[in-house]
Amino acid sequence: MLLLQYIVSGVATGCFLILATIGFSLTRHVEGFLNIAHAQLLGVSAFSTWWINVVLGWPLIPSAIIGIFCAALIGLVIGRVVYEPIRSAGPAILLISSVGVAHILGGLIDTAIGTGIRTLNIDIATSYRFWGIRITDHQLLVVALAVIASASLSLFLAKSRTGLAIRAMAVNPSLAASRGVDVKRTSRATWLLSSSLAGLAGVVLAIIATLSTEIAFEQILQILAVAILAGLGSLFTVIWSGLIIGIAMDASVFWIPAGYRPLIAFGVVIIVLVFRPDGLSGRRSS
Amino acid sequence: MNWLQVILTVVTIGSIFSVVTLALNLQYARGGMINFGVVAYFAAGAYIYAIFTHPAPEGLDQYIIGLDWPWWAGFIAAGIASLLFAVLTGWPTLRLRGEYLAVTTFAFAEVLYSFLLNERRIGNGAVGLSNIERPIRDWGTIDEKYIFAIVAVALMFLTAWIFRKLLNSPYGRALDAIRDDEGAAQAIGKSAKRMRLQVFLLSAIPIGFAGALYAMYMTLVSPRLFTAEVSFIVWIALVLGGERTIWGAMAGTFGLILLEEVITSLPFESVSAAQNAAAMNHVVTGLLFIAVLRWQPFEWISKKLEKK
Repeated sequence: MLLLQYIVSGVATGCFLILATIGFSLTRHVEGFLNIAHAQLLGVSAFSTWWINVVLGWPLIPSAIIGIFCAALIGLVIGRVVYEPIRSAGPAILLISSVGVAHILGGLIDTAIGTGIRTLNIDIATSYRFWGIRITDHQLLVVALAVIASASLSLFLAKSRTGLAIRAMAVNPSLAASRGVDVKRTSRATWLLSSSLAGLAGVVLAIIATLSTEIAFEQILQILAVAILAGLGSLFTVIWSGLIIGIAMDASVFWIPAGYRPLIAFGVVIIVLVFRPDGLSGRRSS
Repeated sequence: MNWLQVILTVVTIGSIFSVVTLALNLQYARGGMINFGVVAYFAAGAYIYAIFTHPAPEGLDQYIIGLDWPWWAGFIAAGIASLLFAVLTGWPTLRLRGEYLAVTTFAFAEVLYSFLLNERRIGNGAVGLSNIERPIRDWGTIDEKYIFAIVAVALMFLTAWIFRKLLNSPYGRALDAIRDDEGAAQAIGKSAKRMRLQVFLLSAIPIGFAGALYAMYMTLVSPRLFTAEVSFIVWIALVLGGERTIWGAMAGTFGLILLEEVITSLPFESVSAAQNAAAMNHVVTGLLFIAVLRWQPFEWISKKLEKK
């Protein structure tokens, strides 16, 4: 029974990881590199939401919208100023550059907010019981947001013109360009989209966790684990690996000390990569 | 501000980190491997040195092994420990390429960090081991700290010299061939997989020695000293100095350590001012990093020098 309880909270953790990773995965597909600074965008949105909610005293929903907007805007500007000029330099240089970006954003957040832990000014979670298993309304919110976000993202990618262009660019940028896709515009649209998703995940993080300035760095480890586990597959492999890692992390607490919880994510990744070097999807990057 | 002290610290810490940068340079610029978990090999060396030289546990200590051996045994063990950790991590992961390797090595470093933090029986968990054996004492009139700086510099030059010898040999050319065109190199009988593993193992040894030296210098090992931040600092140093050259790797490390030391040794009015300075330090290194990667000034300078 207790194990079942851990698995249920693992689903909620997994859903948060899905929210945090879909944006990361999108940039990885389209721009072709691991954007380490993605987690700092979660931090940007989480702390701007906190600031507007607690310091200015606004209600949660408008604060969250402004938080997401901040993350989207900053993500777009960084994509334009930092990554666009070095796109041709290859994924290793882009990856290493994003570490620099993560340092800058982390430093700025530190300066602006300072140390200490913070929580949003919202009602604490109320828990419901179903057949003896506790679920909080915050957990339900996370699950609902993850479902809505991934469903609307996949609809957007499948149906809209920009979505089609994004998918074309992910598969073959030069072919897409020669067939009339505006590469720069599409790339910027991707930055906007993935940064807003990071913003949404940041708001969720602010709701479910207490915020400290190290929080963004802790998230990147798990985001990397989910993204690498998924490999270069579709959105659905991201959903699967998010759930696998979320459940594995929370269920592990049943057997081993909770201090090792973050370690489990990487344990899963290392084991999977040893047997499947290209992740769960098994698709190779060119 | 005491300038002499700052310079001594920069020379000592800079030399220790330079060893790590040099090893990373060998792995990345010559072997084509992105190792984002370089701190793990450094930590392995430091912890093994501490465990080998520390006396048996007593009182409130929670660690279980303290061998109380002489310093040189600990130092050698540190190199071996780093090598063994490289065998353990390199053997399953080196067939992964590019970003997958980067993430897996990063993951291994996090796994080790988590063990050191949570498993109190290794080294007292978060508290760490203090009063680490420090073999270097004053020599007559010369103060201990000068000798320490000299030893660190010597280790750096020794590492640089060995790597240079290696890379100028036929072995080094075979490595370059594999990096530039793996298929062609394999066609003439060079096993890319085996050579990559050899380079990975070989470069881990000096990192372990540097870790032991770092433990002696700090007289403390604790998980806080070996966070992912260390890996990033070494990477930034490597990129700052311009990859592929031994002098560049060393210059980049010294530049970065100098920047950090000057910022931390500035007198601050309040705690929050000091915190802000540390945060701005991150911003500045990040900006430098991006600028260097974008405009590649060092490649440009070396090309200019070659033309003359």
